[in-house]
Amino acid sequence: MNTFFASRPRRIAGLVVLAVVLVLAPLVSSPYINYQLSSIAVFAVAILGLNIVMGYTGQVSLGQSAFLGLGAYIAAYGVLHDWPPVLSLVLCAVIPAVVGMLVALAAARLRGLALAMITLALPIVGVPLARRLTDLTGGSQGRVVSWLRAPEATGLANDQWRYYVVVVIAVVAFALAHNLVRGRIGRSFAIVKENEAVALSMGVSPYRTKVLAFTIASLLGGVSGFMYLAVVQYTSPETLTFFTSINLVAAMVIGGSASIVGTALGAAYYVLVPVLAGQVNSSRTALISGAILLAVLFLLPAGLVSLPRRLASLLRRRPQPAAGAPTPDDATHRAPASSTATTE
Amino acid sequence: MSLLELEDVTAAYGHAQVLHGISFSLPENGATGLLGANGAGKTTTLRAISGMVRTTGRILFEGRDISGLGPDRTAHLGIAHVPEGRGTIGQLSVRDNLLVGAYQRRDRKQIATDVDYVLDLFPNLQQRVKSNAAALSGGEQQMLAVARAFMAKPRVILLDEASLGLAPSTARRVYDAIVRLRHEAQVSMVVVEQNANLAFSVVDDATVLETGRVALSGSRDELMGMDAVRRAYLGG
Amino acid sequence: MSYFIQVVVDGLSNGAIYAAIALAIVLVFRATGLVNFAQGGMAVAATFVAFALTRAGVPVLLALIAAVVFGFVLGGVLERVVMRHFEGGDPDTAVVATIALLVLLTGLSALFFGYEPHPFPSLFPNRTIGFLGAFVSLRSIGTIAVLLVIMAALQLLFRYTKLGLAMRAVADNPQSSALSGLPVSRLLMIGWGLAAALGAIAGVLVAPQLFISPGMLDFVLVYALAAAILGGLDSPVGAVVAAAFIGVVENLAGAYLDFIGDDLKIAVPFVAVIVILIVRPQGLFGRKVTVRV
Repeated sequence: MNTFFASRPRRIAGLVVLAVVLVLAPLVSSPYINYQLSSIAVFAVAILGLNIVMGYTGQVSLGQSAFLGLGAYIAAYGVLHDWPPVLSLVLCAVIPAVVGMLVALAAARLRGLALAMITLALPIVGVPLARRLTDLTGGSQGRVVSWLRAPEATGLANDQWRYYVVVVIAVVAFALAHNLVRGRIGRSFAIVKENEAVALSMGVSPYRTKVLAFTIASLLGGVSGFMYLAVVQYTSPETLTFFTSINLVAAMVIGGSASIVGTALGAAYYVLVPVLAGQVNSSRTALISGAILLAVLFLLPAGLVSLPRRLASLLRRRPQPAAGAPTPDDATHRAPASSTATTE
Repeated sequence: MSLLELEDVTAAYGHAQVLHGISFSLPENGATGLLGANGAGKTTTLRAISGMVRTTGRILFEGRDISGLGPDRTAHLGIAHVPEGRGTIGQLSVRDNLLVGAYQRRDRKQIATDVDYVLDLFPNLQQRVKSNAAALSGGEQQMLAVARAFMAKPRVILLDEASLGLAPSTARRVYDAIVRLRHEAQVSMVVVEQNANLAFSVVDDATVLETGRVALSGSRDELMGMDAVRRAYLGG
Repeated sequence: MSYFIQVVVDGLSNGAIYAAIALAIVLVFRATGLVNFAQGGMAVAATFVAFALTRAGVPVLLALIAAVVFGFVLGGVLERVVMRHFEGGDPDTAVVATIALLVLLTGLSALFFGYEPHPFPSLFPNRTIGFLGAFVSLRSIGTIAVLLVIMAALQLLFRYTKLGLAMRAVADNPQSSALSGLPVSRLLMIGWGLAAALGAIAGVLVAPQLFISPGMLDFVLVYALAAAILGGLDSPVGAVVAAAFIGVVENLAGAYLDFIGDDLKIAVPFVAVIVILIVRPQGLFGRKVTVRV
């Protein structure tokens, strides 16, 4: 993929093909397929946020599900009070962003696992809170809504309309994120990930960078919550459990850390693997999902996004190495953990 | 018989071959230097000896071919590698680092004596014996790295760029201690060093590497007498 | 007053369970520098071995011993076969590999025993004794006692033994440790094995109360993570104190603060943990790490 899209015309051609596929897909697919595709868009945005804070900035977050849930509840509250969907969308972005920023302002001085702990607390506290605040959230029952029906004039079915809504949001989010990570801010993310002390010496404040990354991640989490309610039409405390967060982290790494394309692949993985595993044997979903997850990690430690590169390097390895050069097979011992070793 | 002998050793990282057939030998109770520019293969040669890279050719230690053994095995045989970047264990105290160095030994009393000996050799460490290694200065960390290698009671110490990043006076102090160690503890050494003046204060002879091959070798006095060597490594 | 004591002792007993898993997390962190999410899964798998044995008529104590041995082997094998592959790579990938193991082990337990909870016999007599006017179950006291013994043993292991020193060295810098002749791969296996064995003890202790099911320890894992991090991640005593704190604060809040109640009580220790971490980032007992650039 990387080599194929290296040239600009090819890249543009690829994007056009992608756009056409995204536009046409719902028109020829069943409502069930459209639901799955829409779900991929939902979780792609959630994982995109996670990737910005974890993949690009290197700060572990175990709380992304809390922002997903918060967004979904805000949207549900909006449906109940007849807000226009655009207002809901704006609030689903702004409120979680503010909450995320406040948490980050307090926590971003911490590093590593202490920071992870604070993010871990968000879903842990969030779930019982969602159960308790029945007036706002509908309690344990959650909220069933019926909104974002297809306008008559479009002639679309509800599943198709909702697909377009969430895919448009996802495409916008991905385009913005793509520009963000390639710009000045993206460079400061990378420096903070590499070494906070070095960042300081280069005039980049690790604290402010981390707060910014968390805020963006929370914003995208909230937006994905809006999308979630659009697609699923239901939310409950289950939406924001800790294990959702954990699975999002797994999906992010599986797709490809610090990679925009990897984010989309991770979302597809997140949505499709349980479905596929359920089809193989519904009582063994966990067993099969776990095995697939492990298999992907073994084969592609850099994520699904590295598949083309990996295939290319396997093909390249075929030719005989130069005479006299040590090949991996002559080595009689296992290389020690030396991936960090410096080559002289 | 030499203590350590390399015969036509090659090594590569992935597809990048770094050593193209290195040979040299280290006599019992000897000290030999490896000189050369950045990228000449000095560090890789040390890594090849201690088993941290894949190699071809023969690496004989006390007459036995040790190529293919991992670093924990070569350490067991009596090869102590002080890696580039010092390799102290940051979250352990100075004393614990020394004890890790002595991990393979069973002679408790002698270990305690040796701890006292290295703390006497490096008085800076004496004062910071309970500090975490990560909190030490660069020079102190280098001293600790050398001390930790000695604690294994090795036959040979592989010393990689012990002066790197140190102030000249600190580097001098580290090397003074290394010279003392060599003579008092009767330990052989392979010394990789950018600063040939420091290297020549320890070694009897040296091998000059260029892009993974042996360019020349000779005794200390021979090499110091050569104009090319003086210009390249001794600052005129 | 007697009600207060009862609430505190029950809280300590819950805390003891969190502490056992937290100790296992600390153990793996110390041995490998990784947070191991598979901890709960390994513990449950080992507990199911004990469950199968008790169902076949083996006394609980023997079943516990078998589970501990099984756990040790399971942990060692998983490290050797699975985690070894991820050493030296991106730590995020390694942590996700432990998540994969958690999912896999949960699925495996369910394959043999199903998802529905089963009753599990208690190691301790099912009686209560009077204690300062309160009724305290022997199970609570036994759980706390076992835990204190384990904590002391781990503290001794890390502080005063060569094995403990070696495990700490390997966790911090595997490459240098290998250069000093430490058998790195064997030490990592031992670390995982000990952690899983510890998990087996925790599982057998808690199973009578929770009923055994593949997801039995999911929630405990979260508390344990919080306790381990609050305790400073490399301190067994810290993990235990933090776990006890979490258990007691949670129980007290549930019992005495009406607006908190049973459902929201979990929030109280977590909020407290956040406040403590912000004030003291290295955890309660963690050593402050100074790193030079």
